[in-house]
Amino acid sequence: MAKIIVVTSGKGGVGKTTTSASFATGLAARGHKTAVIDFDVGLRNLDLIMGVERRVVFDFVNVINGEATLKQALIKDKQLDTLYILAASQTRDKDALTQEGVERVLNELAQSFEYIICDSPAGIEKGAFMAMYFADEALVVTNPEVSSVRDSDRVLGILSSKSRKSEGGDGKVREHLVLTRYNPARVAKGEMLSVDDVKEILAIPLLGVIPESQSVLTSSNAGVPVIREENSDAGLAYQDLVARFVGEERTHRFLAAPRKGLLGKLFGSQ
Amino acid sequence: MNRPRPALELKGRMLPVTRLRVLRDEAEAIRAQLQALAQQMPQAVAGMPVVIDADAATDLRALLAAVREVGMQPLAVGEGPLAQMARILRVAVVSADTGKPAAERPPAAGAGRAVKPDLPPASRVGTRIVTQPVRSGQQIYAEGGDLVVLAAVSAGAEVIADGCIHVYGRLAGRALAGARGDETARVFCRKLDAELIAIAGIYAVSEQINDGPRGVSAQAYLQDGRLMIELHQV
Ligand SMILES: Nc1ncnc2c1ncn2[C@@H]1O[C@H](COP(=O)(O)OP(=O)(O)O)[C@@H](O)[C@H]1O
Ligand SMILES: [Mg+2]
Repeated sequence: MAKIIVVTSGKGGVGKTTTSASFATGLAARGHKTAVIDFDVGLRNLDLIMGVERRVVFDFVNVINGEATLKQALIKDKQLDTLYILAASQTRDKDALTQEGVERVLNELAQSFEYIICDSPAGIEKGAFMAMYFADEALVVTNPEVSSVRDSDRVLGILSSKSRKSEGGDGKVREHLVLTRYNPARVAKGEMLSVDDVKEILAIPLLGVIPESQSVLTSSNAGVPVIREENSDAGLAYQDLVARFVGEERTHRFLAAPRKGLLGKLFGSQ
Repeated sequence: MNRPRPALELKGRMLPVTRLRVLRDEAEAIRAQLQALAQQMPQAVAGMPVVIDADAATDLRALLAAVREVGMQPLAVGEGPLAQMARILRVAVVSADTGKPAAERPPAAGAGRAVKPDLPPASRVGTRIVTQPVRSGQQIYAEGGDLVVLAAVSAGAEVIADGCIHVYGRLAGRALAGARGDETARVFCRKLDAELIAIAGIYAVSEQINDGPRGVSAQAYLQDGRLMIELHQV
């Protein structure tokens, strides 16, 4: 049975789209047939990060409105034949996402995909609500700062009370914490919350910690999800995250600041 | 038989109000304190329904103006030094202290055994038990009884009970016990980090709680009308 996974946070700019792109790519690279949907109507950028922006003909809203079939709108990844992208509309307004429409598209996707990743817009309004409502699992993306953690906490409350799973009484949405833009040096200086602080406040299982990394920007500018960058710490952290998601054991890396100075260089830093 | 449709309906409802007590007749100090409070907790103060009590007579007109200036809504004045002026200004006057009509006050301690009223025994309202974390933006109200939260209450969340509140996780949000005026209600938690604790409308915000126990097992209760927050050890 297909699994619907929402990537959500409440706050904007924390790394949802970056995470959606790498997570979907990582699952697909392991052979799982995966579709990733951009729910950010009006502000689409998943297609940019996935490097398919010049191949978008039809989008999610077209499919909901019956102006295109799902088959026409799904964009196949150039490298992975298990990965498909459904872009958001740049021109429509948010009301275009109706609950019935979203459900219909998800049901159709569920017939042929293993994983359906929903990249949520920021906020807790309609678009974000639609992205999370049908989810079986949620990646809650948080930055190590108080306002981001607070917003994630709020989203967790909504997931536990207003999702299809919770309303139907058939269990709860499985929650995973993804801590992104983690900067151990700033944590050490007390400028940011630590992994343990965030874990204590949100009290959900930690799936991955993604370090703050220059390579995220360069790879998204190049239209390549950072998980494909074998030499990037953020890319490796996303690979670990996907491995953990499918049940492999991986210890968390990149939690400590790299050692500086000659000794650090001689002995390598990690 | 056509009865006219009623134009009115009366419903007995409880409304949580804050009692604002004037301790000193110093208009400027009162104003300054109100403004500081409004800055500290703008959301709580905006529209907050208050009943004004006073230990000493003060200029009620100026006081009402100052209270309204910060966005509070004065509903009434408690019986006492301000009552006469309130009646002149046509402001409602309610009984002092608990807000209950004086006749309904429980007999004072030592007055012997209370006569059993001719009523069926009060039915006990069950305790409300919450097993999931109470997250930011959520509010839980245990009407008529106690509230037990087995998980954490996050910052930005609010738990309210007419009776006691027990939180077995970290209490980082707001906890309001005795919401309908029960002054014997208490708040217990395993890890105190609260934004606000209130019992029967007497509250302390995080800044005030800060001086006391923090991050430890604690309880809050009222003693002579003062909110006590203490380390709780067994
Ligand atoms: N681990 C990271 N290190 C550095 N920059 C990052 C990281 N994750 C995300 N960013 C940057 O943060 C910005 C917002 O990321 P994005 O994924 O679009 O967030 P959201 O979808 O939550 O709004 C982008 O400029 C992105 O490049
Ligand atoms: Mg985004």
